[in-house]
Amino acid sequence: MSSTTKTARIGEELWKTRVDKVNAELVTLTYGTIVAQLCQDYDGDYTEVNKQLDKMGYNIGLRLIEDFLARSNVGRCANFRETADMVAKVGFKMFLNISPTVTNWTSDNNQFSLIFEENPLADFVELPDDGRSQDELWFSNILCGVLRGALEMVQMQIDAHFVSDILRGDDTTEMRVSLVRYIEDEMPPDEE
Amino acid sequence: MAHPRHGSMLSFGGGPNNTTPSEKPLFQNAPISTASQSSPGLRVPSNRKTIYDRHLNRSRNAELSRASFAFLFSEMVTYAQRRVTGIQDLERRLNEQGYPLGLRLLDLLFYRTIAGSSSSSSASALSTSSTTSSPPNRPLRILPLLHLIHGPLWRLLFNRPADALEHSVSPDTPNEYMITDNDPMVNTYISVPREMSMLNCAAFVAGIIEGVCDGCGFEAKVSAHNQPSEMWPGRTVFLLRFGESVMEREVVLEKAGVK
Amino acid sequence: MYVSTVYSLIIINKAGGLVYQREFHSGLHKLSTNDYLVLAGTFHGVHAITRSITPRLPLASTATNPTTASHSATASLSVTSPSSTTTPTTPTPTASNNPTANTPSSTYSFPNPSVPASGLEFLETDKFRLTCFQTQTGTKFLLFTDPFMANIDVVMKKIYELYADFVMKNPFYQLEMPVRCESFDRHLGSWLRGRI
Repeated sequence: MSSTTKTARIGEELWKTRVDKVNAELVTLTYGTIVAQLCQDYDGDYTEVNKQLDKMGYNIGLRLIEDFLARSNVGRCANFRETADMVAKVGFKMFLNISPTVTNWTSDNNQFSLIFEENPLADFVELPDDGRSQDELWFSNILCGVLRGALEMVQMQIDAHFVSDILRGDDTTEMRVSLVRYIEDEMPPDEE
Repeated sequence: MAHPRHGSMLSFGGGPNNTTPSEKPLFQNAPISTASQSSPGLRVPSNRKTIYDRHLNRSRNAELSRASFAFLFSEMVTYAQRRVTGIQDLERRLNEQGYPLGLRLLDLLFYRTIAGSSSSSSASALSTSSTTSSPPNRPLRILPLLHLIHGPLWRLLFNRPADALEHSVSPDTPNEYMITDNDPMVNTYISVPREMSMLNCAAFVAGIIEGVCDGCGFEAKVSAHNQPSEMWPGRTVFLLRFGESVMEREVVLEKAGVK
Repeated sequence: MYVSTVYSLIIINKAGGLVYQREFHSGLHKLSTNDYLVLAGTFHGVHAITRSITPRLPLASTATNPTTASHSATASLSVTSPSSTTTPTTPTPTASNNPTANTPSSTYSFPNPSVPASGLEFLETDKFRLTCFQTQTGTKFLLFTDPFMANIDVVMKKIYELYADFVMKNPFYQLEMPVRCESFDRHLGSWLRGRI
């Protein structure tokens, strides 16, 4: 059994036994109303909306990691490849019941892509037909922030951003994740 | 304007009539949108994974983690808090964030109850409902509306009905109704600081209820209030106050024998 | 018959500050607030020192001996659920996919992701035992219990879960600040009462 398969089993098991559930549509619509509110507050400035979503995600990530660790009981990952599997097969499974595919590694093992077959945050969503949203808005950008915040708390500075999205008319939804560095000091980060 | 909020929310959901040129259309993440009119201006993936190609009931029994909801909701509260002047203002904002959910969930509820109760396919049931002036289960009177909220809406959102439904006993306020939830799911992990003890974040749910009422044509103001008991420290009463026009209509319908 | 008295709980934030202190059972002398602050800070300091004197795995040995690293990683991946038993099938990181060789700083050694240096885990006297659990994010939970109490890890795990629920998911809690969450207190109290 490959380590990826093993990690996936852990995720499945946790989802089945350790995760309290709610109606998926409540979560989807709640996220939708958050994004719509931001679009209103920032007057359709999608670049700013992306930034705000990333910030919100970051703040969530700083907290969500404790829930992840408390419930999953997993130990530290030995390397960034293990981290990628852990994020995709345990993290996303626990919180969104999906397991994005980890792929497109760079040769230095510091960058990979997550390919989303499913994305519950974007169920029911069609971007506004204003000639700009499909070029400017990353609807699910909160996920990038969550990853950044959560991994920062376990001493990894990363960069995460979407490179394609089905909502934009692309054939896939893909997030690119890069390890910037391992953080050596333990000074707590500030909420954004 | 009789229903100013409803008017603005319609444009939010993509209704053409209320969209003034200056208004930007926002997300059409309404569960029911008119599927035939896929916007020609939007690019779609070549595999056509759009909302129009997926069944509306695919997420009917889907579940997500309660933690995800809690984190999103928590961040919504934090974000709202940064832009408000006080507790009332914060509750108003949470109410506004819930409101569009009410409108959308109402469509979803109707769609599913019609599809479920009719023997024909869901598609034909839908077309029937759009040609009939009053779909079979659309509430015309206050009581059926309240039952819709207390039962089906609560079950859709929280997997259980609400805990109580009451009518105001005061003769001065016949337009007031109360729906009680002993332990609102949205407040599960929230501890309100002592200096904000009046606050109830279930104002978000009050907004959902208000959206449902308005969407049904029952103008109402809904607010959430703390009514803790020994057994239920988080007990919340949602106070629904229907508008005068609704009460006048009730009288007319009563006389006409409409239930 | 288990002796399962939990006297009190202390939570120390990442910077060594006391953010929570609560007594569940009398039996130990009370300290002044100031003494608790000193205790938190002192423990934090001593803990950091015990961590730093823990021998580090030199990078070279990790690279040449990948089995050691991956073994400990595999073991730590086990979940406390009946069905997921940890089979010692060792994933073999080959030289090419072992990123320790490619980590940004080549002198990197601590925190080596594969080697958790835990530091001080408990202190014991005749009358009580002080158990420390440090999360991977750096928060410390200190539990004062009866010295003969068994299954402290179960209690600790539950406390961490309650913290993740009723502190982390509370929008009115600011990270790293004192924990004043009424429902955390309530759930913690009733869970500890329930298990006695």
